[in-house]
Amino acid sequence: MKALEGVVLIDFGQYLAGPFAPMIMGDLGADVIKVEPVTGDGMRMVNQPFMGCSRGKRDIGLNLKHELGKEIALKLVAKADIVHHNMTKGVANRLGIGYDACKAVNADVVYCNTYAYGRVGPQSHFGGLDPLFQAAAGLEYEAGPVEAGNKPLYLRFGMTDTANAMLSVVGCLSALYHQRRTGEGQELWTSLLDGAVMLASDAMLADGTPVARPKLDGDQCGIDALYRLYRTQDGWIQIAAVEERHWTGLCAALGLTELADDARFATRAARAEHRQQLESLLAPALAAKTSIVTSRVLDSFGVPNEVPRDMNAGEAVLFDADNVRLGLVAEYEHPIMGVMRQFGNLIQFSETPGHIRGPAPLVGEHTREILDWLGYGESEMEDLKGDGVVYWPDENYGWTV
Amino acid sequence: MAGTLDGLRVLDLSWGIAGSLGVLLLAEQGADVIKVEPPGGDPFRDYSGFAVWNRSRRSVTVDLKHPDGLDAFLKLADDADVLVETFRPGVTDRLGIGFDAVHARNERLVYASCPAYPDGHRLAQRPGYDALVQASSGQQWEQPGWRMGPTFLHVPLPSMAAMFLVPTGILAALVAREETGRGQHVRTSLFQGAQLFTTQIWTYVEHSRPDFYGTMVKAYPPGVHQEMIYEVAGDEWVHTSIMSGLTPIKSQDELVGVPEATDPSRFPLLSAEERAALLPKRRAGYKQRPREELIEEFRENNHAVEAIISMEENLGSTGRPHPQLVANDMIATVEDPEFGTTTQVGVPLHFGTSTTGIKGPRPKAGQHNAEIFGALGYSADQIAKFAGAAR
Repeated sequence: MKALEGVVLIDFGQYLAGPFAPMIMGDLGADVIKVEPVTGDGMRMVNQPFMGCSRGKRDIGLNLKHELGKEIALKLVAKADIVHHNMTKGVANRLGIGYDACKAVNADVVYCNTYAYGRVGPQSHFGGLDPLFQAAAGLEYEAGPVEAGNKPLYLRFGMTDTANAMLSVVGCLSALYHQRRTGEGQELWTSLLDGAVMLASDAMLADGTPVARPKLDGDQCGIDALYRLYRTQDGWIQIAAVEERHWTGLCAALGLTELADDARFATRAARAEHRQQLESLLAPALAAKTSIVTSRVLDSFGVPNEVPRDMNAGEAVLFDADNVRLGLVAEYEHPIMGVMRQFGNLIQFSETPGHIRGPAPLVGEHTREILDWLGYGESEMEDLKGDGVVYWPDENYGWTV
Repeated sequence: MAGTLDGLRVLDLSWGIAGSLGVLLLAEQGADVIKVEPPGGDPFRDYSGFAVWNRSRRSVTVDLKHPDGLDAFLKLADDADVLVETFRPGVTDRLGIGFDAVHARNERLVYASCPAYPDGHRLAQRPGYDALVQASSGQQWEQPGWRMGPTFLHVPLPSMAAMFLVPTGILAALVAREETGRGQHVRTSLFQGAQLFTTQIWTYVEHSRPDFYGTMVKAYPPGVHQEMIYEVAGDEWVHTSIMSGLTPIKSQDELVGVPEATDPSRFPLLSAEERAALLPKRRAGYKQRPREELIEEFRENNHAVEAIISMEENLGSTGRPHPQLVANDMIATVEDPEFGTTTQVGVPLHFGTSTTGIKGPRPKAGQHNAEIFGALGYSADQIAKFAGAAR
C-alpha cells in the first residue's frame, strides 16, 4: 500500500506553483489527473521546469471553455478527494470550477487554490512569477547583499514557487486527514508570497525595530568567520565551527593555538564582534593547502567542514551510486526524450513506500482512458475530439515535450 | 471552530531549522506540541530565528541518559501520535528511543526523522549544519554570484525545503494510519531538501534538444530574471515581472520612458544584440524614477513589481508593512519572554472552515516540566532528578 493509495487528485494547474504540489502527492501514491488545456500547459514551452512538475500524472486534454468540457471536468471533480489549481483570483469561478461549483457535485471535497499574492488584498488580482516573491521576502536583498553595496541577487532555484506548492501539500494533506476523520471537506489557499516569507521567517522586530540576524559578506562567502566559505590553494572549503570545541579544534588544526587564548575571540559574541580580524587570520592558513588536504585535517580535529561540489548541472547527483541505491533518483523513459532522470523519493516511508509512475505526460496522453473511466463511449470520444472539446496525441502532436 | 490537527499530540525532539519549522506548521493547525529538550535547553536557543520557529508549543527538559528520564520520555511517547527528531542516523537507537523501540510500545506512532543526510548514505555520519549541505549537495556551486566559484546562500535552503518535507511525510503517514491503524517510520533529510529545489534546473535527458535546458542554464549573471532587477532613484531597487496574469495598459518601457522598446513579454525572446542595445536605455529610465511612485504606476498599468528591500522592512520596521502581507494576516504580534513585543511572520495556511493560529511564544526550556510530567504522576523531586534546572 502507498501512503495516499486511493486518493484521487484533480489538478487544474498550469506553470509550476500549481502542478508541483499534485506531483509530490502523486509520488506519495495519489492518482493525479492533470486537466490540461487542449492548447497545452503554458509551462511546456520551458521544457525542463515542465518535466520537473508533472511526472507520474495521467493527463486529459480538455477545453474548459466549452460547455461539454466543463461537464467532463465536473464529472472528474465528482470522483475527487482533492481539487488543486493555481488560477488567478476569479478565473476558476468564471470557468465554472470554483469551490462552490465543485462542492455542489462533491460535498466533502478538499479544494486548494495556490495564489501568487493571496485571496484578498490590494495585489490579490495579480498573478506573478517567483522573482517578485524573492524580492518581497527580502531574499534578493540579503543575497546581494545590498547592504554591502552589491546589487540584489536572484537565486536561480525558483524556490518560492516550490515553497508555495509545498505549503499547499501540507494544507491539502491536513485537510484530507481532517476530512477522513470528520467527513467534512473544505477549501484552503496558499500563496507564493506566504511561501516566500517562510524562507525568511528568522526576521523579527522587537518593539518595531529589527532584531539583528546574520548578514552575508560582500564577497558572498558566509555569515560568520566560523560559518563561511574560505579559499584554499585549489578551490574552496565551507567550515561550520559552531560549537566551542569546533573553535578550539579549528585553531589546533591550523596551528593557530594562540587564537584560542586571544581575548578578542574568547566567546561566540566576541568572535562575531571581531569577525573581520578573525577572518583575516584564518584565511591565509586555509589558503595554504588544497581543499581535500584541509578537509581531512579539519575532520581529524573534529571541525565540521565540506568541500563544495560542482554537480555539473545535477549529473553528479543523478548518477551518484549512493543516491541511486537509496531511491533518491528517479529514472523513467519519455516517449520523445528517451531515458530521463530527476530527483527521486524526497521522503521514505517504512510501510507505505513512494511510487513514481513515470515521466510527465504528453498533452492528453490519457484522455481516452480517463473518458472511458467516466463512462464515455468510443464514438462520443471521437466526436468530442472533433469538436475540440478534448485532445489526445496524434500525428500532428506539436509540442516538444 | 477547530483546527485540522486538534487533538494530535506531537513530541518535538528536533534542533535547528527544518524540524522546528516543520513542527510549527503542524502546531499552528492545532497540534499539541511538546518540545523535548536536554537539561539546559536546545543548544540553538540563542540563534537567530529560534524565537519564531519554536513558538506555539510547550517545553519539557529531560536527560535521556538518566534511566528515569528515559522512562519518563517513553511514557510521553506512549501517548503521542507523532515524534520528530533530527539527530544523526544511529543516535536515537543508542539513546534507546529509536523507531523500533518506541514503535514497539506505541504502534500508532508516526516517527519522523530528518537528519542532514539519509541513513545508509556515505555522508550519513558527516556533520550536518545547513551550509555544509549547501556545499555537499552542489547548491553553492549552482548559484552564480558576483565572482566565480561557490556562493554561500544566506537563506538556508536545504533546511527551508526540509521544513516542508517533514510535515508532508507526517501527514501522509497520518492519512495512511486512518486506513491501517498503524504508524510508521517517515524519513527525510536536509540533503533531500536540497533536491526539492532542483526541480527546474537538474534533469538528465538522453535525447535533449539543443534548447531543452534553454533559459534555465546556469549563467553569469544568473539568467533572465536577474536582468529584470532595476536600480531606481536614491540607490533603491525593484524587480519587475515578465507576466502578471493581467493585460498591461501601457508597457513597462513606456512607463520608464523608452517608448521605442518592444513588448516586455517578448524580451526573453530577443537576440542578445537586441537586448544589449535596449538594456542601457531601460536602466537609465528606471534610474530616474522614485521607487514608490514607479511601483504605483506599474501596478495601475497591470504590471507586477516588487521593491527589493529587507524582510524586516516588509514586516514594518519603517512603518510601512507590505500591504499584501497585512491582507494575508502574515504579520503577527507575539509577546516573547525575552524580546518583549515582537513582530513575526504569521501562519501561511488559510482554511475555509478549520482555524489556524499562533498559540503563544516559544517556551522557556522546561517551562512545562511540572505540568506535563506531573500529569504522568511524577513528583517535583523526581522531575528535578531527570529534568535538570529550568533555564
